[in-house]
Amino acid sequence: MLQEIRQVLRLVVLMSKQGRRHGSGSTGGLLILLWDEEAGAQRLNCTVAAAGSWCSGVEIKALQLDLKGRMFPHVSPSLEPDPEDLIPFTELHGSLRLLLSFQMKDARHWPSDWQSDVEAVLQAFSLANAGIQIHLKLKFAQKTSVRDFRAKIKAKVSRADQPPLLLDVSCPEQKRWFLSKPHGWAKRASWCQGGHPVDGGRLPLGIPPQAMDGGLLGDLSVRLVTLLHPCVLQYPNMPTELKSIKVLVYNPCNIPVSGPSGFFQTLPSSMDCQHLGLRGLQCPAHKDPEFRVGTVFTTEQWENEKKCDDEEQESSHLPVQQSLLLFLLLQHRNPFCSHLSDFVAADMLIEHHLEEILCNNKPAVMAAIRTEIGNAMKAQNQRKKQQEKLNSAAEVILSSTMSIVSCSSNVDFRNACFDLMKVADTHALSSHLGESLRRVMSWRFLPVGRCYSTQMEENLLHHGSTKSEI
Amino acid sequence: MLGKQISCTMESGSTQFFFLIDKLRIQLLNSIEGATEKDYFQEEISPFDSGVGLQMSSGHSVTTVKSNCPASVTKFAQILKILSVIYRLVQSNSYATKRDVYYNNTQLFGSQRSVDTIVDDISCMLKVSRRALHVMATSKGLIAGDLCYLEEDGTRIDCRSSSAAVSVSSNVSGIRNIVSSAKFVMIVEKDATFQRLLNDDFCRKLSPCIMITGKGVPDVNSRLMVKKLWDTLQIPIFALVDADPHGFEIMCIYKYGSVAMSFEAHSLTVPSVMWLGLLPSDLQRLMVPKRSLLPLTRRDENKLNSLLKRPYFASQPQWQKEMELMQQSKVKAEIQSLADIAPDFLTSIYLPNKLRFGGWL
Repeated sequence: MLQEIRQVLRLVVLMSKQGRRHGSGSTGGLLILLWDEEAGAQRLNCTVAAAGSWCSGVEIKALQLDLKGRMFPHVSPSLEPDPEDLIPFTELHGSLRLLLSFQMKDARHWPSDWQSDVEAVLQAFSLANAGIQIHLKLKFAQKTSVRDFRAKIKAKVSRADQPPLLLDVSCPEQKRWFLSKPHGWAKRASWCQGGHPVDGGRLPLGIPPQAMDGGLLGDLSVRLVTLLHPCVLQYPNMPTELKSIKVLVYNPCNIPVSGPSGFFQTLPSSMDCQHLGLRGLQCPAHKDPEFRVGTVFTTEQWENEKKCDDEEQESSHLPVQQSLLLFLLLQHRNPFCSHLSDFVAADMLIEHHLEEILCNNKPAVMAAIRTEIGNAMKAQNQRKKQQEKLNSAAEVILSSTMSIVSCSSNVDFRNACFDLMKVADTHALSSHLGESLRRVMSWRFLPVGRCYSTQMEENLLHHGSTKSEI
Repeated sequence: MLGKQISCTMESGSTQFFFLIDKLRIQLLNSIEGATEKDYFQEEISPFDSGVGLQMSSGHSVTTVKSNCPASVTKFAQILKILSVIYRLVQSNSYATKRDVYYNNTQLFGSQRSVDTIVDDISCMLKVSRRALHVMATSKGLIAGDLCYLEEDGTRIDCRSSSAAVSVSSNVSGIRNIVSSAKFVMIVEKDATFQRLLNDDFCRKLSPCIMITGKGVPDVNSRLMVKKLWDTLQIPIFALVDADPHGFEIMCIYKYGSVAMSFEAHSLTVPSVMWLGLLPSDLQRLMVPKRSLLPLTRRDENKLNSLLKRPYFASQPQWQKEMELMQQSKVKAEIQSLADIAPDFLTSIYLPNKLRFGGWL
């Protein structure tokens, strides 16, 4: 079932790329409707509809019959969804450029959590194709569920020698800890609600012999882009901790591919963790939705020699736990590919031989990944050093101040100090002063122009936001 | 032989010897009496006043040191630490040197210079003298000659020993009961020259006089001592420095003060300091051997250009001429170069003649 959905996405993307007119946009909508004709039916039908400028080049009539037959053996012209299901979509995105319906395989053989798998794939697709709003509608067993995948904040990552990339950089819900428990003195408006992708450049890849024998020719490369969530650039003193690294691999159509698990299983042992400042990398097997697509690694950090009061740290949510998203975007160019079927075949070959391709280029790929992780850790370590400096100075500041107040015989002066800090004695003064000082230090705010602060929040609600990062 | 002749002349005609110096003293006293209080306490303080020297202007700049910025947090902590030390000193009425403060926490302060700078900043911020902070500078200056005084703790100091000099007190403002019949005070730039004069029994030969050295760029105590001697004895103060831009600058510090301590100019400067030598014009006049002359370096030339732009010369046209002469000749010389004329030229010929015949600017 996922395969069929991927096939559809591949087809739409390739057709739209081929037929794209100069100057056409990259926005629009994609509807995936899964429905059963009658209650209790074992087979589900799938309807895919596309509209908007992103698929302006799609001509469904041009789709060759043999290709249709190969890709969608169960395509049935008589299958038609309920028009009412399409109305909201067309109202939002305009007239349909593509409408394709086919019958899926027997649903009894699907895994029990197939819905989560579908959502995970569409979510990952949406991340790298932020201009497309994806609507997933499930109508079966007399139940209807709708899920939209829409990028609130988009960032264009462009380079002279690279095709432009529109990423969804909005901070995931579970990472937006600052919104759930805002601090009294830190305004909600001062949080960056997005991320800032870093383009790691293009790495040429050699095509392994097995893939060449299968017909894969031309130039193959991988583009690395990283994205760190949540963004704390505006809080330069805030300590951070890289908690997880998620690697997402995309085929040349920008469609997420599953695996290659074998290759990434060897990543922890190939990383010089100590050099990166980590104690280790783990690749746990999770069933959570976040882990269904891509490979997730959790990091093991070195414990601080001197921990601050745990309770206090916990209540202040420090250090901020960050996640690194690493996009590996495969790119393929073959001057001998001209027909749609050629592109489809090449794309499928790349997916099929992905494990071999990456293993064939292991040293270079690992080095590139190491560099990207290293850059993220560098920033974290820099913050850690600054935090140590601030903590060390805070001790001196606190002890010096308390020394003056404690030794003072001037009652007015002492009372003024107690009143200002709203305490009754020097003992309470010491703890309150220490807390205030640490708060002032950790929560230092410096506005950063490229951050998505909440003056954009209203726009986000209605129109979303796009910035050009590079 | 020549030295002995001069000596005999001095002993027999000491009144005649010091005639011009005494005359200078009267001139200086008259110029002080003519000055009004308004000259010293102007409503609008200009950065330079010929009667005071370099002083802090009212439109001072403000520096902010933040506790939440990693680049400045250490300085913030250092300032608070020193404030707490000062607080304890003032409270207990005890004193400590800047060196003591530094050793209180060497890891925090990093260097003596950090402590020195912060103490000066606190002094300026609170608008009090450093003495009021109970932090004393370690004195490096030496003094010798016809001078006796009492330290604050009652110790009697006699600077008349011919063989050894006395360290300048670290508590100059506490000095009392100054007794001296000196006709003049001579500031000597370098310790080497000072020791040479001491060994040549200069203070006895040209008695009564006082000589003092700050061993190069003077510390605050040496400057305070010169100021105190002027305020108390009201006798001419002469400067004996090398004929180079650095020596000239050192002389200007005694006379006009430094930018760093401009907020305490009134208590540190002695605008009446006279330039005795070594003058650039002396090099030509005395035909100092060329081998003793050194070419001005790039740094010397830059400093010279910078000095010529300072406001000092508006009231010192003769000084300006001397500096321009140095600029044109592109040579400099140390006081020791006079030894190439004759071993005892400095103490037997040069200084006695300069003092007797008014060879100062």
